[in-house]
Amino acid sequence: MSVIIDAGTRVLVQGITGQEGRFWTGHMIGLGTDVVAGVTPGKEGQEVEGVPVFDTVRRATREFEADASLLFVPPRFARDAVYEALDAGIRKVVVLCEGIPVHDLLRIRKAALSEGAMVIGGNTSGVISTGEAMMGFFPYWIERVYRPGKIGVMTRSGSLTNEVTAQIVEAGFGASTLVGIGGDSVPLTRFAEVLPLFEADPGTDAVVIIGELGGTMEEEVAGAIEVGSFTKPLVASLGGRTAPEGTRMGHAGAIVTAGQGTVEGKISVLERAGALVADRPSNVGRLLREVV
Amino acid sequence: MKLFEYQAKNLFREAGIPVPEGRLVGEAAELEDAIREVGVPLAIKAQVLQGGRGKAGLIQLASTEEEAREKGEEILQKTGRGLLVEKALDIESELYLSITPEPVSGAALVMASAEGGVEIEEVAKERPERIVRELVDLWEGLLPFQARDVMFGLGLQGDAMKQGAAVLQGLYDLFRRHDAELAEINPLALTEEGLVAADGKVTIDDSALWRQERFSPDRDHFESDVEFDAAGEGIPYLRFDGDIGLLCAGAGLTNVIFDLVNYGGGSVNSYVEFGGPNYRKGAKALELMMRSRPRIVLVVTFGTIARADVIAEDLAGAIKDLNPEFPIVAAIRGTGEEKVEELLAGTGIEPLRDTEVAVEQAIELARAEGARA
Repeated sequence: MSVIIDAGTRVLVQGITGQEGRFWTGHMIGLGTDVVAGVTPGKEGQEVEGVPVFDTVRRATREFEADASLLFVPPRFARDAVYEALDAGIRKVVVLCEGIPVHDLLRIRKAALSEGAMVIGGNTSGVISTGEAMMGFFPYWIERVYRPGKIGVMTRSGSLTNEVTAQIVEAGFGASTLVGIGGDSVPLTRFAEVLPLFEADPGTDAVVIIGELGGTMEEEVAGAIEVGSFTKPLVASLGGRTAPEGTRMGHAGAIVTAGQGTVEGKISVLERAGALVADRPSNVGRLLREVV
Repeated sequence: MKLFEYQAKNLFREAGIPVPEGRLVGEAAELEDAIREVGVPLAIKAQVLQGGRGKAGLIQLASTEEEAREKGEEILQKTGRGLLVEKALDIESELYLSITPEPVSGAALVMASAEGGVEIEEVAKERPERIVRELVDLWEGLLPFQARDVMFGLGLQGDAMKQGAAVLQGLYDLFRRHDAELAEINPLALTEEGLVAADGKVTIDDSALWRQERFSPDRDHFESDVEFDAAGEGIPYLRFDGDIGLLCAGAGLTNVIFDLVNYGGGSVNSYVEFGGPNYRKGAKALELMMRSRPRIVLVVTFGTIARADVIAEDLAGAIKDLNPEFPIVAAIRGTGEEKVEELLAGTGIEPLRDTEVAVEQAIELARAEGARA
């Protein structure tokens, strides 16, 4: 079992004919993802890994129904591409690229909220339901990192995710669905908005969040636990506890300003709500064994 | 990209927001004319990006031309950067006004307070009820009633309210037009002549610089040549004062390594993050690292796109070319990790698999190197 995507999700790929689009579409199909069509303006009639390519999302969805769209487009075209997907009635969109202008992110976020759509990203590896389907890029073939199981994972990072999932696997668990929330300062879908899906999923026993300094997403998770809308065990692994204030630590969203967004603060509200906090990735597995 | 005060004020002026009369002075020879043109009393303000200029003596008031010259020369000497010579204001009271992105609702957040001149965070912590907030929908823009609401909320009436609403409208327009991450007037001074933006900060979103062609960070925006060069390469680079250089792929992973080094009693010299689209820049990253002069370098990667085999191959090549003096500890994992051992053969680097083992080794080696030095 899984959330957001599974083997039955019909996936569209926007930007399918680019180098990354081509390469990862092959891997997505290899994992079992139902990629129904691709879109690249001016490339209609071509095929990528046996998937037909169309000029526009409307033309693609006229022939193939799609439940979700994955965007391999550069950041400056992200807003346009997301709207094109929303306009065609697609209500799950994953946008991978890093560097979408903040004002574009705000407008996409607002549009998604008012359309009732889930747009995930940017600056993310995407979403994978291990053993079922993938929208994005994960080294699912490395067995010590990705194994099907019953732990839901949400993350603000890429490489760190591999580090933590390797620990989850080493502790004898695997992932149900892994959701890359991404490292931007305006995540288009927030941790707390995915929690209800994991709560309802019988295939998820517990959730691991991989967070870091900056923003308020971890605090919102604590809030959801506190009010009782999320009741499964939750383990958090947070980076940047020793980061100096006012320094942007690599990700656009990873910055503490005027005492706001500290890992210290996040840990205290998460622990007060009853979540477990791992002080380092290698403790995630041990904490999971305590609660699952 | 943070703008200097004079750049922010240029944007204010263009947006119809009143600013004090002033001249930008690049060197001592220009000081005399600027002082005479603007006329005393004057405020002399260093054009540097660091906060707390007042406390550092980088903002000075002068009531005579003589005093202005002395203080101006002193500040120029101290900073080696330009300064702003401005007409001093006769201030009745100070307000605060800012606009920032609000990520939860996908809107712009206006914050205003009748306590200007201090950091807004301080007011937020001590007297949160004194802050007026207004969310602005980017699709609709700032509506006139919202601007009025904010200004009445600050206690302004009559002409001051109307002028305040116009200032906020101007600030919102420049926030949108220039892809700002921060547009702040602090203090917004209430004077006999009306409202004047006495000081201001504008930060342009780095991700939007491609469509904000007017702004490009130059050497003045950075503390050092290394930081400037790293920014030019698009490689996140941070400088600290410890021993261990972190040469890692992926910001989230690097932040955890940063913590693990500190937990273990080590200290970080610098942070070079060459993950994501930069993973083929290993040689450049190593060069930046060498210029930071760490005692030891710790390479940790666990990438998908940032392939382990590519990183190991580039690193081995760069070590051969650049011949760094420091020892390197490496845990390079992810896509293609099975080839890493062979690729690193001959570099003297023992490929590790475990992050924490690598961190421990780096801390120990840094200690040993420190003892030797």
